[in-house]
Amino acid sequence: MNAEIGMVLSRVIELAPGIREFWLAREDGGDLPAYSGGSHIVLSLPLPGGVRRNPYSLVGDPGDRKKWRIAVRRQEQSRGGSAWLHEHAREGQPIRVSMPANLFPMSRLARHHILVAGGIGVTPIVSHARELARLGQHFEVHYAHRAPEFGVLLDELRQLAGGDVHCYVASRNQVIDFRELLGGRPLGTHAYLCGPQGMVEDFHKTARDMGWPDTHVHSERFLAPPPGEAFTVKLARSGREVAVAGDQSMLEALEAAGTEPPFLCRGGACGQCETQVVACDSKFQHNDLFLSQAERDSGRKIMPCVSRIAGGCITIDL
Amino acid sequence: MSAAAPSIKSQPVYHALEWDAAGVRHLLFVASDDPPLLDRLLAAPPRGELTALSTDAAAGERLQSSGAAAHTLVADGLARGLETLGLLLRDSEMGLRLYLVGCEDAIWQAAGIASGYGMSSAEIRLFQTGTKARPVFCVHCRAMTRGVRTNLVDCSGCGRTLFVRDHFSRRLGAYMGFQIDAEEPGVKPPVELAYP
Repeated sequence: MNAEIGMVLSRVIELAPGIREFWLAREDGGDLPAYSGGSHIVLSLPLPGGVRRNPYSLVGDPGDRKKWRIAVRRQEQSRGGSAWLHEHAREGQPIRVSMPANLFPMSRLARHHILVAGGIGVTPIVSHARELARLGQHFEVHYAHRAPEFGVLLDELRQLAGGDVHCYVASRNQVIDFRELLGGRPLGTHAYLCGPQGMVEDFHKTARDMGWPDTHVHSERFLAPPPGEAFTVKLARSGREVAVAGDQSMLEALEAAGTEPPFLCRGGACGQCETQVVACDSKFQHNDLFLSQAERDSGRKIMPCVSRIAGGCITIDL
Repeated sequence: MSAAAPSIKSQPVYHALEWDAAGVRHLLFVASDDPPLLDRLLAAPPRGELTALSTDAAAGERLQSSGAAAHTLVADGLARGLETLGLLLRDSEMGLRLYLVGCEDAIWQAAGIASGYGMSSAEIRLFQTGTKARPVFCVHCRAMTRGVRTNLVDCSGCGRTLFVRDHFSRRLGAYMGFQIDAEEPGVKPPVELAYP
């Protein structure tokens, strides 16, 4: 189920300080599978300490079967993945890549689409804009970024959306007023946002206050697994014990130990890696966006891609 | 007055109608008068502007005299009412909640118009009142036969005698009807009043 494709980095493009675009092509030169707007892939990055798997949104043309495009911002507190892509990745580098999955699809019934990007969150927004332009649907783009030079992929957005691209540049004190953005919109409007956590929360709260139903408000945010204390995972079925280092996620430790737990987003959003907890002698640190409060309180479930425990030992049904 | 447990999963269940506090504007569409329901709803109107549209004259008077709605419109019959509903929705903004009160034929036609304007089930509440008569979709010729009160009905399109199932399509807003004597021509159960 976690099938991977052998690919190579076919091009590396400097988009802005600390933001690079990468093109990926099949190692065997063959056609790539099709995907829908908003999809992401998981790259298995060959870091010196072991493989690191990170999700990235596809920004290219889903009709292009020869290459996939991603854009990566170097994270200030990189766990190694984005730093490796910025410092060590070279054209010709082989990389294993997952099949595309879409956790951020568009509504097919919408009468109008409002796309909102915050920083590097522009990547799935470009892919949505491309699909909407292809389908001939009504849409507009609102793009917030730190400074003019960080408005990456803006030319592409302008080509796709014509005049309906609006930029909000923080260095010029421009911010998106969600109340204004979401006010007076016709019935059947859907709004989509990809951006940092605070922006996502503000967006959902404002929409709810203005009477928008959750069915019409969409967002995507991938978390990097937060580091913490080292702990031990015990596998109930085999009795094996796996050590999780402080800078490693539980999922990564399980994979390094040779097990293959299911995953899709590796960012706490999709729920694919949900795992049953048999016992835990420590405090849970739930970092995902998936489990409900009741599920967290039950102490019976954990998302090993981003969540951990504060030292000690956890026994899982694996 | 919510229905008893349905015999089949697709059959709609209607819960007691309440205003949706998450909405900031509200549109109440009434196709059959239901004094206790309307009096209860109008006695405690929702936060935000309420518009009422009735295709029933008595309900229209009840809505008008309550003073709960900022605007009350009365349409002459269901067809006109649905047309007016479409015009209101065309000019409505996000934040609206739609409440549909009446027989299933009326409220599901109205729901179909609302979904055409991009409304989701999270924005629409339906409540069945008045006649239990069913709209029936012929699975053979795809014609719609409305106002069916009996277990068997002659299809308005192809004339086959249809058995009216509990299987309901939300998209079509109708119950499925299939030919009762397809396997043994002429063998039909007695016709009974099933949906008064």
